[in-house]
Amino acid sequence: MELIKIFTKSKCPKCPAAKEIGKELKKEGLPVFHFDLDTIDGLAEASFHSVLATPSIIVEDEEEREVASWRGVVPTVQEVKQYLLKGHSF
Amino acid sequence: MSAIIEMKEERKEFKEEFETTDMALFVRTSDESMNDWDRQRIVDALIRETYVDYDTAKEIAREVEDLIATSKIKMITAPLIRELVDTKLIERGLEQARKMHTRLGMPLYDVDQLILHPNKENANVPHGPEATNLTLAERIKKEYALLSVFSQEIADAHMRGDIHLHDLGFVDRPYCSGQSLEYIKRFGLSLPNSIAMAKPAKHPEVLLAHMVKFAAALQSNFAGAIGWDSVNLFFAPYLVGMSDQELEQLAQMMIFEFSQQAVARGGQAIFTDLNLYWEVPKHFEDVPAIGPGGEFTGKTYSEYLKESQRFAWALFQVYQEGDGSGRPFFFPKPLIHITEKFFKTPGHMDFLHHICEVASEKGNTYFVFDRGETAKISECCRLSFKLDQTDLEDAREPWRMRYCALQNVTINLPRVAYLSKGDDTKLFSKITEFVEMSVKAHLEKKLFIEKLLSLGEKGPLALLAMDRDGSPYLRMHRASFLIGMVGLNELVQIHTGQEMHQSRQAFKFGLKVIAHMKLLVDKLVQRYGMHFVLEQTPAESTAYRFAKLDLKYHSPKSGHIVKGDISRGEVYYTNSTYLNNSAVLNPIERVRQEGLFHPMIEAGALTHIWLGEAKPSKESLSNFVIKTFQRTQNDQIAFSPEFTTCNICNRTSRGLRSTCAYCGSKDVDGITRITGYFTKISSWNKGKIGELRNRYRNQAFLEQREEGLILKA
Repeated sequence: MELIKIFTKSKCPKCPAAKEIGKELKKEGLPVFHFDLDTIDGLAEASFHSVLATPSIIVEDEEEREVASWRGVVPTVQEVKQYLLKGHSF
Repeated sequence: MSAIIEMKEERKEFKEEFETTDMALFVRTSDESMNDWDRQRIVDALIRETYVDYDTAKEIAREVEDLIATSKIKMITAPLIRELVDTKLIERGLEQARKMHTRLGMPLYDVDQLILHPNKENANVPHGPEATNLTLAERIKKEYALLSVFSQEIADAHMRGDIHLHDLGFVDRPYCSGQSLEYIKRFGLSLPNSIAMAKPAKHPEVLLAHMVKFAAALQSNFAGAIGWDSVNLFFAPYLVGMSDQELEQLAQMMIFEFSQQAVARGGQAIFTDLNLYWEVPKHFEDVPAIGPGGEFTGKTYSEYLKESQRFAWALFQVYQEGDGSGRPFFFPKPLIHITEKFFKTPGHMDFLHHICEVASEKGNTYFVFDRGETAKISECCRLSFKLDQTDLEDAREPWRMRYCALQNVTINLPRVAYLSKGDDTKLFSKITEFVEMSVKAHLEKKLFIEKLLSLGEKGPLALLAMDRDGSPYLRMHRASFLIGMVGLNELVQIHTGQEMHQSRQAFKFGLKVIAHMKLLVDKLVQRYGMHFVLEQTPAESTAYRFAKLDLKYHSPKSGHIVKGDISRGEVYYTNSTYLNNSAVLNPIERVRQEGLFHPMIEAGALTHIWLGEAKPSKESLSNFVIKTFQRTQNDQIAFSPEFTTCNICNRTSRGLRSTCAYCGSKDVDGITRITGYFTKISSWNKGKIGELRNRYRNQAFLEQREEGLILKA
C-alpha cells in the first residue's frame, strides 16, 4: 500500500492546508505520516527525499519509491488520491 | 662560587621592557663570582607576568640562585632558568602562575628535524628555509593559542581530539575569505604600511598585478584561501578590443602568477580560487561597470558578456595545456558556477564541453551548483558564502562584497559514538556538547580578533582594519563561524553496525545526525547573533589526527573502525559526511546520495569523482554535470584524474606509476587531488596516503564506446 508523507514547518503559511489534507486522508484509513522540519526526524526525512520547500506531500510505494510529489504547493485531496492504489475504499 | 654567567647580548642594549629570560646566558667554570647575574630579574619577571606576591617571588629567585650556584651545570640558558623557576612554582602549587610564566618554543631536536625534513601537515607547504620559518612561527603561535587565546577547557578538548581547532598557528588572523576585484579596481592598491600607493589600474596587466599583490597581502592576513568573485566578469571592462591572442596571454599570466610557488608566505602558493561564470550573474546584470582608471564606464555589466565569456574560455584554454611539463596547475582553482541562467545563455553547451574536456584531461574544473535563486562565492577546498538579501543589495556596489570565515572548528564524530556506547540519547547529547564547545571556541577566537582589530590601522591587522569605503575591510558582522565534522560514516558504523552505504537505515541515521547539528546550529545563531554554519571540513590532516588519537584512547574498538592500514600507520576517518571512499557505487548515485546532506551544510560541500587514469569524453562528463544539476541536490563536484610527472625528462603521463612512462626514470612524483586541491603525493600525510590506496576509481562504471570513454550516469 502507498504511504503519504506530509512535510511542514511551524512558520509556514500554506502548511495548515497541507495538514488538513493529511487529516482527511487519515480519516479514510490511509497511512499518513507527518514530518515537522523543525525536528530532527522531520528534517532528516525531508533531506532523504530532497524536500527543500514546505509544505510538501510525497506519495510512496511500499519500497519507499516516490510515486508522486507536490513540493512547495498544496494539491487537492482528489489530486493525491489519484495516485493511490485502485480498489482501496475511499 | 664557581660560575660566571655572562649575557650574550651587550649589557648596554638591555632595556627594561625586554624580557629578562629572553637574554641568552652562558655559564663558564671559574673561581670568580657570578658576573652579570642578578636574581632580581627573576623577581621582576614573576611580578610582571604572574600574580605571585613579591615575597614569594624573592624566595623563589633565591632558591633558583642557590640551585644554580651549587649545581655543576656547565652551561645555563635562559629557558633553563625559566624551567627552574617553574618547578619552584609547581612545588608551591602555583599552577596558574606556572602557566602564565611558561616559555613557548621547541626542543632542539624538533627544530633539527624540521630543518632537515619536510613537514606534511599541509601538502601546500614546500620544504625550504622559508617554509621552516613558517612552521617554527606556527608552532609557537599554536602553543600561544592553546595557552593564552583559548580557555583550558577548549584547549584540552583540542588536545584530546574531541574537537580540532584549525590553523592554530595562524590564531591572530581570520581563517579564509571571499574577495571582490571591484575593491582594487575602485580604490587602487593603497595598503596600510606599504611604501607606495598605486592608483586604480588603467590596463588589464596592471589590474592583474594589483590582484596578485593584494592577494599576497591578504595571504599575510588570513590563514587560508583567498577566493575572488566573478573574476572574468570584473575583468571584462578592461578587455574590450583585445584579440584572442592577447586574451590568452593575459589568462596565461593570471594562472602562472598564482601558480608559482616559493614567492609568498612560507614559500606557500596562495590558495586562490577564481569564481567564474558563463553568464552575467543576475545580481550583477544592472550594476554599473567599473573600467580602466577606476571610472564607471557608463555601461552595466550585462553589456560585457562577450568579453567576460571570451576571458573565461581563454582561462580554460590555459588550464587545458597545463604547465611547462604538461602537469595540471595546482592553483589558482577555477570554479564554474552552474546556474539556471547558465543553461539559458547562448553557447553554454560549447563552453560546458570545453570545461569538461579540461576536467577530464587535467581535472582542474570545479562545478559549483547554484540552483534556484541561490548565489554564492566559493573558495577554499569547498567553503562557500551564500549571498543573502543584504548581500544582493550590496551587489549594487560590488566592492562591498567581501566575506570571511573567522575560524573553523571540527568535531570528531566517531569519538562521540565511542563515548555513547550505542545509546541514542547519549549520542545526541554528546553531539550537542561538542557543538557547544565549538561555539565557545568561536567566541574566544572572536574576542581575540576583535582585540587585535580594535588597534586599527596601527595594529597587527592593519589591512583588515583599513577603511576606504565607510567600513573596515573586514566586515565582522558578515563573518561566518564554521563548524565542521569528520567521520560521520564511522559514527554511523560504530552506532548502528553498518556504514552509510550499506543500508538505508544506516544512511538515514547519518542524515539524522546532521539534521540534529543543523537545527542546533540554527538555535545557536539565534542565541548569540553570530553566523554559525556547518561546513564539510576539508580535513587534510584532521581525519588522520582524529583516527590516530582514537586508536590511542578508544582501542580496541577503534582498531576495527578506522579506515586505512594500521600496520603502515596509514589511518584515517572518512571525511565529513562522505560515503566510504572504497565503496563500489555508481558515481551519479554517490553524487546524489552525498548531495542529500548538502542543503544542510550551508558553508559548502563537495563530492569527488575519482577517475584514476581514465579519461572520459567531454560529452560524457557534460551529461554527468547536467544530471547532477537537474536531478540532485549536490553543491559541488570535481573529477580527479591521476598523473605521474617525471623529474628527469619533465614529462607527465596519465595514472600513478613507479617509473616514467617516457624515459623509465624512477625519479617521479604522483599528482592528484588530496582534498580540495591538486598536489604532489610525496607531500601527503600518511592518512591521506591510506585514503588514496582505498579510493574507488569507478572502473566498473566506465565503458569504451565508439564515441569515446563514457562515465555512466
